[in-house]
Amino acid sequence: MRRWLSHPNLTMAVRVLLGLVFIAAALPKIMDPPGFTKAIWAYELFPVWSLSPLALILPWLELFTGLALCLGLWVRAAALWVAALLLSFSLALSINLIRQHPVDCGCFGASTPGTESERLADMRWIILRDAGLLLLAIQVLWTTGPGRGTHQPANSASTDGQQV
Amino acid sequence: MPFSLRSTFPRMLALAGMAALAALVSNTLASASRRLAWSSYALAPPVPTPLREGTVVSMPSQPSANPPSEPVARARPAPLAKPQGSALRPPQPQAATAENPIREITSQEAWKAFQTGVPFLDARRSAEYVEGHIPGAWCTPIWESDLDDRLLSFKAARRPGPEDPIIIYCSGGSCRDSHLLAAKLLNEGYFHLLIYRDGFPDWVAQGHPIDKGQP
Repeated sequence: MRRWLSHPNLTMAVRVLLGLVFIAAALPKIMDPPGFTKAIWAYELFPVWSLSPLALILPWLELFTGLALCLGLWVRAAALWVAALLLSFSLALSINLIRQHPVDCGCFGASTPGTESERLADMRWIILRDAGLLLLAIQVLWTTGPGRGTHQPANSASTDGQQV
Repeated sequence: MPFSLRSTFPRMLALAGMAALAALVSNTLASASRRLAWSSYALAPPVPTPLREGTVVSMPSQPSANPPSEPVARARPAPLAKPQGSALRPPQPQAATAENPIREITSQEAWKAFQTGVPFLDARRSAEYVEGHIPGAWCTPIWESDLDDRLLSFKAARRPGPEDPIIIYCSGGSCRDSHLLAAKLLNEGYFHLLIYRDGFPDWVAQGHPIDKGQP
């Protein structure tokens, strides 16, 4: 099981999948920063002064980490960012779910508005989805960590911890 | 510190730096409807809860607006048949200022106000405005960086006084863009702000006329 989970082919598939998800999430937000600002504002977790910098930088960070994962460059650094972002997204959604404040997640750009109960149900599914993606990021981090040279991806020189 | 951490953290910082640089460049090159101001974003503090139909936030000086004995959900706000008259204009502007002269209006009131020429502000995104809007409404998207310029154009053209009614709408439902715009206009000294709560979807559902295209 352990050997199968750390198989290089599985690791490559996981990081490409994770990268594609982050690229797909980044593009609509890059195309429409005001819409993403509105989505962040709706969470009611961030001060007004931070909305624009977050809405402008976060999508590009998602894009660069997604590209890095797909291309196999700086994999560990990108996977750490992905894990940190997924944890942040899950935390923000969980806080609003606990206080029964329905929000449009804004994960892949603006979505169709629904009723409050529909949006709360969506938020539960999105937290589960983020937890699943977080497991994928952990798999990448685990297989590219120090001392795992035997299961590095084929292009081992591109992962962190190796000479580039 | 292990070698991997020594190389990972600088790379994480490099990714963040690249993202910041790309954001700076893309925002500089973006069109006005997609550009953001990095600082001093023109947003009023969040409005905590959307108002309910007929709820009068303020204007206690208007006895016809919402008698305390009436249930809030069924209360009828002041009629808008004469928008330039005393029914819409607080008799004591100073007193209204001290409270919070923003209230929600119904579909019927919005229609009557439309017929009497009260200005409408569309707080939705400019792309939504182009797809359809209330005829004569001004495109004032609260989330876009050229909002102040658009509001200046509106003020220059209509020259609304502080007590003149202004109707603001967005997409109805949970949309709070019109509340945000009302809060911004209140900060700018307008004391008679009417929010068409059900917004443009309701206007369409009622079969009222609409316009399409650029402002």
